[in-house]
Amino acid sequence: MTEAYDVEFVERGDRNIRFLVRGVTPAFANGIRRAMVADVPTMAIDEVRFIENSSVMFDEQLALRLGLVPLTTPPEGEFAEDDVVTLSIDVEGPGTAYSGDLVTSDDLVRPADENVPIIKLKDGQRLEAEADAVLDRGKDHAKHQGGVAVGYRHLQRVTVGEDISEFEEQEAQIIRGVIEDDGELVLTSEFDHDLSERYPGKEVHVEDVPGAFVFHVETDGSFDATDLVTRAVDTIDSRAADLEEAVQL
Amino acid sequence: MSYKCSRCKRDVQLDEYGGVRCPYCGHRVLLKERSRDVKTVPVE
Repeated sequence: MTEAYDVEFVERGDRNIRFLVRGVTPAFANGIRRAMVADVPTMAIDEVRFIENSSVMFDEQLALRLGLVPLTTPPEGEFAEDDVVTLSIDVEGPGTAYSGDLVTSDDLVRPADENVPIIKLKDGQRLEAEADAVLDRGKDHAKHQGGVAVGYRHLQRVTVGEDISEFEEQEAQIIRGVIEDDGELVLTSEFDHDLSERYPGKEVHVEDVPGAFVFHVETDGSFDATDLVTRAVDTIDSRAADLEEAVQL
Repeated sequence: MSYKCSRCKRDVQLDEYGGVRCPYCGHRVLLKERSRDVKTVPVE
């Protein structure tokens, strides 16, 4: 990657972003996507110690449910791969145990959402447990996956042609993603994904823009989506450096 | 071994001579209570 490439945001939220990258190869775009899914370390519960569980679910099932609760992951360097953060839960029925009931020993690592139900408890049932959260990658277990809905599409360029003839019925032309219209980026959701809505009575031609990709990134709440992208790129960078060192002997 | 009678809900101690029967009410269905140990479960 010697040539310059530029990045432009289309939508920008905390957990949800959409951005355009120009001047990259499809292989590089896919590399970033895969790194976002599998190579960015996130915190997740890895071991649960049950002190009391008189609920209707087995300890193992509850452990899995606790493991899948997204936890916030502090910036790189704050925690090493084998550091442990302990969270505890103590809920007595009647009522529902939520992820928000987890009490953390380190405020940097806490449930990303407060309203994930863990189990419903009847009168007299009780759940008391301690859990250890560790840092790991999506490669090893899906609970460590920071990017949950990550994908990209080609940027599409729309050129408007001739008027269609008076007696011809215009057909719906459905496309999804982001289109480029005279250098302006337009989300297809703005015109109901139908080009005949935006250009009534015109012939429209659509083509992919080479080397331009629109990424859509959504995280589970472990960190901001922009953080996920930069951390993913950092993992590629460090693995490339490792490979270079290994090859030179 | 400590059990709980499913009818009268009382704690029952069984020995090898009495057979499986609640000494208080004669019920033959006994439930084994969960132990007080802390159980460690890995998330898989």
